Amino acid sequence: MDLNKLPLFSLMNRRMGWLAQRQHVLSQNIANADTPAYKPLDLSKESFRRMLEPERPRVSMQQTRASHLMPTRTPSPFREDVDKDTYETALAGNSVVIEEQLMKVSETQGAYKLATNLYRKHVSMFKAALGRDR
Amino acid sequence: MDLMKSIKISAAGMKVQGVRLKVIAENLANADSMSPVKGGDPYRRQIVTFENALDKTIKADLVRVRSIEHDLSEFRKEYDPGHPAADETGYIKFPNVNALVEMMDMREAQRSYEANLRIIDVSKRMLSRTVDLLRN
Repeated sequence: MDLNKLPLFSLMNRRMGWLAQRQHVLSQNIANADTPAYKPLDLSKESFRRMLEPERPRVSMQQTRASHLMPTRTPSPFREDVDKDTYETALAGNSVVIEEQLMKVSETQGAYKLATNLYRKHVSMFKAALGRDR
Repeated sequence: MDLMKSIKISAAGMKVQGVRLKVIAENLANADSMSPVKGGDPYRRQIVTFENALDKTIKADLVRVRSIEHDLSEFRKEYDPGHPAADETGYIKFPNVNALVEMMDMREAQRSYEANLRIIDVSKRMLSRTVDLLRN
């Protein structure tokens, strides 16, 4: 049985992927808190409608000849955008505000916790239906 | 894996703050280093600059030290003809290190270091929650 065929599991999977990528982006912002001219990135928000839509197949470059180089970085599943609406910009052109980024980090952490807990609950519901434990 | 990558990115961030702190320590330690020759230039303050560049092994952008440059501002001059480093007119040049500026820089480095540390902590916790899904 493929668990990802169940809508709730595939939703959780997607949600956790989104949150993990957001954590990646935010940690990059924090690491560059003192890099001149660095603009913080953030993921575009996932709408409920887009979550319910089936995932569209992604088009990527194909290696048709042996001399073609493969890209170093595979495109990430969710879009990363420059965050234009930051609290302030320093003189060196850096607009990372650590407080703002940490706020987003804790928000991401909370949402991740929610997703894993829901996943766990759903699994335990299945277990109850199977009637194996207890 | 995104969460492992974010830990590595934060570690790189901590590393560059460490280099920055090292340069600050160098500046402060040399705050009174005069010229070894008569009428020469004393210690010149150093500044670290950072950049964000692609690391091909982990396929993510990591922050790294771009260069350590010299602060080209003027040296403070004082009249002291008896000093071994004094020039013909009797003036000696002091290093362009300002202890107050270095202290502020140090605080900023410390704060950025702590923020990176916090991110590692959060990423690690998220990762362990994922592993905990197995234990049910």
